[in-house]
Amino acid sequence: MKISGIGVICSQGLGVAAFEQALKSGWQKPGETEAHWLGGVKTPAYLVKFDALPDKTLLKKIRRADALSKMSVLAASDALVNSGMENIASKRLGIIVATAFGPHVTTFNFLDDILDHGDAAVSPTIFSNSVHNAAASYIAMALNIKGPTLTITQFRFSFQSALQLAQAWLDQGRCDYVLAGAVDQYGDVLGYVSDHKLTTAKDGKIKPFTFNPTCQVPGEGAAFFLLSNKSEGNVYCSVSAVHTDDDPREGKSADINIIDADGMLPDESAYLASLSNDIPTAAYSPLFGSMMIGSAFNAAAGALMLKQQTRYATPVQDNPRGIRMLTESGGGSLGSIRCTGYNCYAERTVIYLTKA
Amino acid sequence: MNNSTMLITGLGVISAAGNDLSETLRSFEQGRRNAGPVTLFPTILKSPVFEVRQLPAEYYLEGWRTLSLALVAVDQALKDARLADLSGFRVGVCMGTTVASQLNALQFYKAYRENGAAPMTSVDRFLKGNLAEYIARRINARGPQLSVVNACSSGTDAVGIALSWLKSGLCDIAIAGGSDELNHVPYCGFNSLGIANQGLCAPFDRDRKGLNLGEGAGAMVLETREAARKRGTSSGLFLAGYGSSSDAYHLTAPSPEGVGLRAALHAAMAEAGLEPGSIGFVNAHGTGTHDNDLVEGRVLADIFGPDLTMLSTKGFTGHTLGAAGGIEAVFTAAGLREGWIPASAGFENKDEAIPMSPVREKTAITKGFALSTSLAFGGTNAAIVIGREADA
Repeated sequence: MKISGIGVICSQGLGVAAFEQALKSGWQKPGETEAHWLGGVKTPAYLVKFDALPDKTLLKKIRRADALSKMSVLAASDALVNSGMENIASKRLGIIVATAFGPHVTTFNFLDDILDHGDAAVSPTIFSNSVHNAAASYIAMALNIKGPTLTITQFRFSFQSALQLAQAWLDQGRCDYVLAGAVDQYGDVLGYVSDHKLTTAKDGKIKPFTFNPTCQVPGEGAAFFLLSNKSEGNVYCSVSAVHTDDDPREGKSADINIIDADGMLPDESAYLASLSNDIPTAAYSPLFGSMMIGSAFNAAAGALMLKQQTRYATPVQDNPRGIRMLTESGGGSLGSIRCTGYNCYAERTVIYLTKA
Repeated sequence: MNNSTMLITGLGVISAAGNDLSETLRSFEQGRRNAGPVTLFPTILKSPVFEVRQLPAEYYLEGWRTLSLALVAVDQALKDARLADLSGFRVGVCMGTTVASQLNALQFYKAYRENGAAPMTSVDRFLKGNLAEYIARRINARGPQLSVVNACSSGTDAVGIALSWLKSGLCDIAIAGGSDELNHVPYCGFNSLGIANQGLCAPFDRDRKGLNLGEGAGAMVLETREAARKRGTSSGLFLAGYGSSSDAYHLTAPSPEGVGLRAALHAAMAEAGLEPGSIGFVNAHGTGTHDNDLVEGRVLADIFGPDLTMLSTKGFTGHTLGAAGGIEAVFTAAGLREGWIPASAGFENKDEAIPMSPVREKTAITKGFALSTSLAFGGTNAAIVIGREADA
């Protein structure tokens, strides 16, 4: 299947152009947020700045939605706009939203309601926004999409699973296009949990090539892809294979390997087994932060590289293991990119992107 | 590949209606409705619920009731399918839920709010307790895994996704369904929406006053005919079609014209290659809320005619949210297999605004196909078609 449009929102801004600029510019220090668990002391985080968005038309349309839904709608809408295809929403278009944590901030707001006001005096609006498929529903409503609309929530390769399902839907004719993407939001409680279980990089710098020990900087955002089996719109590349269990193509060459390492695992040494000296490796998590759905942003980076036929250097190049790293940006002939992720059980997932 | 190649070889279910399918069928025959006040958590709210009163002790997992319920249903389904050894097969796990996807741990959050710190027990359970991931590890399934969180259509969507996986060759066998526990947080939420009934729910009844929440799990083993043949088993049931569609209308209310439900039904029927006249009965979503039943009843009557045989089983189970689609898929399959469906519990008076009525008594089923529908928060709609082979 082809990627015919991409929409991204993260701390670097909204849109492929902002994301591409971030890839070109390299690492920049993240913002900070007050941490309740640290008594209000600030901690680094890559957060979306809604106030900085130049066009708030769509935000006004979904003003009752929470931040997770807003990020989802903005990125999904951006993917459709980016495709350049007219009236795409009125075609046979499905939606698959992948997330690890869903609307946890709204869930905690609802718990506030229960704790503060009691069982009988809680807000129905907060409750309905805390339901996990609210973001997908806001996308459908805001963009008037009436195809299959699905939300999946898991820690194991949720974005890759969404891609696999999108391919099945397209092949089986359940829709002609699928808007598949991933979203996760930062919140104070999640920040506390991450800080408690992992090591936060106080300098705000994720070092994906240290592998062990690791450090994380929380991020948030959404990345959506317009997918179809046709060569239409603003084609970036093909998604030639997605594996979430085994990889029958293991050992198959690629021009660049992108790894999802981002400090979300205390030990990311499993990645070492997937690296070779023949293939330069990049990791872009230091641009958007640590997220269980970070692979969607890495896939966006890979798709951009294939479309632009441009390599983007790894933004943080600390390399104690001497890995063959993609250290310099520049043009070149790119035919295929392999995006690799591991989870805490050392299970591997791979997305193969190829030049369209 | 014809549609009948995706066999349903195992069924498992647990709900307030019974801890397995046999017990459930007895409840159905006797019209037993095991509802009562909430006992699982303290609350001042009075809306009755359908709790599973005696969770089998061997499945008890502290703080993981949704997983416990799921494991009961999955183990039953695997046993029914005579599938003790999964090695040699690519087995997918696709399960719907709502509660297991949320860290709605009140005590953890209360402690965190007050102290800026809290024990990680609930968080660890949450991180290790993703429904599909947990089941896959527990049964050593090596294949795709998905936890579907499409609110009240999650279970139906999970079954439909399993069909897609099997058709695309991502797995040979799939375990699909849904599971949800009765939880304090959605219980407060549904009461806040004003749709929780203070008495017993009465789906499609003229005087219906809302839903009762319930809990439970339903699971199916689905497999390609080739996988079943390889392990020397067969089945008279198959999953023939799945449709899903969005209303794109409102976060909590269904489209008044039932736009999404109509599309989902047409898609499921088209995949099954069926005309409306082939459908023996519909196990409707039928929550007992005014809007759901009105929209669903009108759409079903419009497509299948006012004489359609239909029921809602939520009068026996309550609304089990993410589990509902899984549980009702099992009930639908069982209706075809057994050749009968029960009276639609809670229905007494016809609503003149709905041009059809659910069955009032145990009803024989002779046709070979049945539908199960789900309508969800967020305007998602899903339908599956289940078939019984002619010679079964």
